[in-house]
Amino acid sequence: MLELNVIFEAVHRWLEGILPQGLVTLISALGTGGIVLAFLSILALFLVWWERKVSAHMQQRLGPMRTGWHGVLQTIADGVKLVQKEDLIPSTADRPVYFWAPVICFVAAFMAYLVIPFGRGLIVQDLNIGILYIIAITTFTVVSLLMAGWGSNNKWALLGGMRSAAQIVSYEVPLTLSILGAVMLAETLSMVGIVQSQAGGFWNWLIFRQPIGFIVYYIAATAEANRTPFDIPEAEQELVAGFNVEYSGMKFAMFFLAEFVNMFTISAIAVTLFFGGWNAPHPIFNFVPSWIWFMGKSLVSVFILMWFRWTYPRIRVDQLMGFAWKFLLPLAFLNIILTGLGVLIFRN
Amino acid sequence: MAIEQLKTEEFMVNMGPQHPSTHGVCKLVIKMDGEQIKSIQPHVGFLHRSIEKIAENRTYAQFVPYTDRIDYCASMNANHAYVTAVEKMAGIQVPERAEYLRVMMAELNRIASHLVWIATFAIDLGAVTPFLYAFRERELILDLFEMTCGQRLTYNYMCIGGVNWDIPQGFEPKLREFLKIFPQKVNEYEYLLTNNPIFLYRTKGIGVLDMDTAFAYSVSGPSIRGSGLKWDIRKAEPYSIYNKFDFDVPVGHTGDVWDRYKVRLNEMRESTKIVQQAIEGLPGGDTKVKVPMTWKPPEGEVFSRIEAPRGEMAYHIISDGTPKPYRIKIRTASYCNLQVLPVIAVNHLIADLVAIFGSLDVILPEVDR
Amino acid sequence: MAGNIIKEITDGIYNLILGLAVTFKHLFKHAITLQYPTERWEMPERSRGTIVLLSDPETGRLNCTACLLCSKACPVAAISIERIKNPDTKKFEPQSFNIDTTICCYCGLCEQACNFTAIKLTGKYEFSASDKSKLLYDMGFLQEIGRDVKYEKREKTAAKKKAVAKAETGEDVGGAPVADAKAESSPGSGEAKKED
Repeated sequence: MLELNVIFEAVHRWLEGILPQGLVTLISALGTGGIVLAFLSILALFLVWWERKVSAHMQQRLGPMRTGWHGVLQTIADGVKLVQKEDLIPSTADRPVYFWAPVICFVAAFMAYLVIPFGRGLIVQDLNIGILYIIAITTFTVVSLLMAGWGSNNKWALLGGMRSAAQIVSYEVPLTLSILGAVMLAETLSMVGIVQSQAGGFWNWLIFRQPIGFIVYYIAATAEANRTPFDIPEAEQELVAGFNVEYSGMKFAMFFLAEFVNMFTISAIAVTLFFGGWNAPHPIFNFVPSWIWFMGKSLVSVFILMWFRWTYPRIRVDQLMGFAWKFLLPLAFLNIILTGLGVLIFRN
Repeated sequence: MAIEQLKTEEFMVNMGPQHPSTHGVCKLVIKMDGEQIKSIQPHVGFLHRSIEKIAENRTYAQFVPYTDRIDYCASMNANHAYVTAVEKMAGIQVPERAEYLRVMMAELNRIASHLVWIATFAIDLGAVTPFLYAFRERELILDLFEMTCGQRLTYNYMCIGGVNWDIPQGFEPKLREFLKIFPQKVNEYEYLLTNNPIFLYRTKGIGVLDMDTAFAYSVSGPSIRGSGLKWDIRKAEPYSIYNKFDFDVPVGHTGDVWDRYKVRLNEMRESTKIVQQAIEGLPGGDTKVKVPMTWKPPEGEVFSRIEAPRGEMAYHIISDGTPKPYRIKIRTASYCNLQVLPVIAVNHLIADLVAIFGSLDVILPEVDR
Repeated sequence: MAGNIIKEITDGIYNLILGLAVTFKHLFKHAITLQYPTERWEMPERSRGTIVLLSDPETGRLNCTACLLCSKACPVAAISIERIKNPDTKKFEPQSFNIDTTICCYCGLCEQACNFTAIKLTGKYEFSASDKSKLLYDMGFLQEIGRDVKYEKREKTAAKKKAVAKAETGEDVGGAPVADAKAESSPGSGEAKKED
């Protein structure tokens, strides 16, 4: 019965007892930020390791084995290596643009976690427009990738940046529309509200009322996070490494970590919107803390994304656009119409 | 903003020599309009080792290890091409067992070569996992080769007059086991690729090589069979003992990337059949006839060709009666197949260029020699 | 028309799932790779790796008679031998025997040329060095790494070969190839079958 919010609330009450109100607000703001940042950094490190392990075992390899138990510390070792690397800046690069691109990418990836409910009461800030905020903030990624492509002053990087701009802007549309269906049923934009509307058991999860919405969301979100089969902005085999071809050292690491954080973000949103968030599948499982349910479901979703990546070829850039506009968008509209009709019929 | 400032222009990109999808050191100078390719100029020669000139300073036997290095993915076939040419010139009769072993090894190497191809082709399209699956099976073949001749890549297995080593103990059960499991593994690649909608989107109707173009650029091997021409030297001009084996020549219909993929996939199955027949019918006897170290062939000239995994590999040897050849000219399939790339890849996207380049199965040491 | 589209979509989904099934199945299979420095493959008997010079296990002397056949057979001229005549036995002995492994192509022609089982390509590996000059092996080093190599001396076969060759060249027109005695290590298919 270890609900983490109990601890945080206890700490908060203890601080209120010994410190003035203004200081407590400041400390709790910084503290939560720090905790989320630390959690996500560790999570990203874990996900990198996990992806390497999953891919290795799918390919009958072992993956990292030397650093720590089955190589769990491999990503840390890699991180240390990347920090030590020389930070190369191409002589013809647009320096400020080149410098800020990974920072924006990193920050945008982390900002989304302001409204993600990790468990019951475990949310940094429950904005009443939570889901809208996430859609807005994750779009910053496109700016950063475009900046990286442009700032590198490299033709391959520019092609990658352009591809990512086209891709992310296109997929933003079906993504948002697919979320609308869930929002219509939950009747709230707040992440906590959406989760609470699905409480009670797995039959209340929105996946059963929004299957089309979920499929559209999942495909569009995979494209948003630049994961294979939609990883055309990077596309090692075509564009060498796309937008991050000129990046090295810590800047590359920031892009890399942001990619994995984004992967977790889309999984977390999928879980929140369609799989009941922190709710247990059945009330009898309520003894398991809510944050474990949330993390478990999210990690399963992350695993599926990894699974896709190590199974499928990459789709071509124009086909990707065609898929978004000709297939996903009509499907998303259809979903909204069906949901609207459903609401109209069953609510009244 | 004035409209002149918004005009687009074409730009040049160097794809290679250091690019993951040029399979070695090929440089493609591409003129692009956005992502669309307007023209391609392949620049070859980064791996030129003047093997043909080296041949003039080596004895006939000493040149065999060099043939390994012409096409390192199919060294057995390269060996085979050279030794059959020399034997044809000198009129050497090779023992039957040696011929069987040669065919067996050449076909195993054809499978290994196609496996490398399927692996790199899949990775060109972004699918990483088939790469490792294909290399897993290739490893079994390389183990067999290593058992027999001690090397995994540059075999120097065939010599003038036969083969250098007989198959060792334990080879046959291992080979039979391989032949048993391999067809299932080919099915596995098919599950991952052949009908996968993403794969179909990337390969169907891409890089169509019509028969006229293929003839004009003397494309050979699976690349022209993909266009629908049933032309395989193993059938058309049987060399060695290929006329004793029963196998089909798979062909495609449209000549697109998918057809070339399918042809190679089916060729692996056909090669498995040949190896099966070879191991069943393997006769006893000698594995080579003695050819002295300073052997002098008769004066003369010979042209001989075989079907290598990438197409026709031909040797034109002129002998002046000394222990060293007067001149050797090697016709390699990759060089001719690469020439057709600028023709069929124009007006495609850069992602298609990667797929088309991969589908032609060009191997750069063979291009540059 | 609509039926076609639906069939295309269902086929597509079916094949996508088929691919996922293949990779998922492999997730639980054992890895086929080894952890190299701690686990190793067993090198087959015929491996053509590092070249060694073989010495007589009893006397400890090199088998090499400095006949220079190997250096003549070498296509890349990696072997350089200097020889002297031993005043006692009136036989040639190698004074220096250098192999430049940076240019060696491990073709094994030297081993085939040798009539005295003096040079052999073994399954030994891991001789990489950070300095190119360390890859120039001299006689002492080649002998040292060849001490534990087991081999069968084939002086007799070589002598027999010579006899056969002599006997048959008389009948044949000069220079024409002659049937060899059966290759030395040829258990081949026959014995393999018996084993089963």
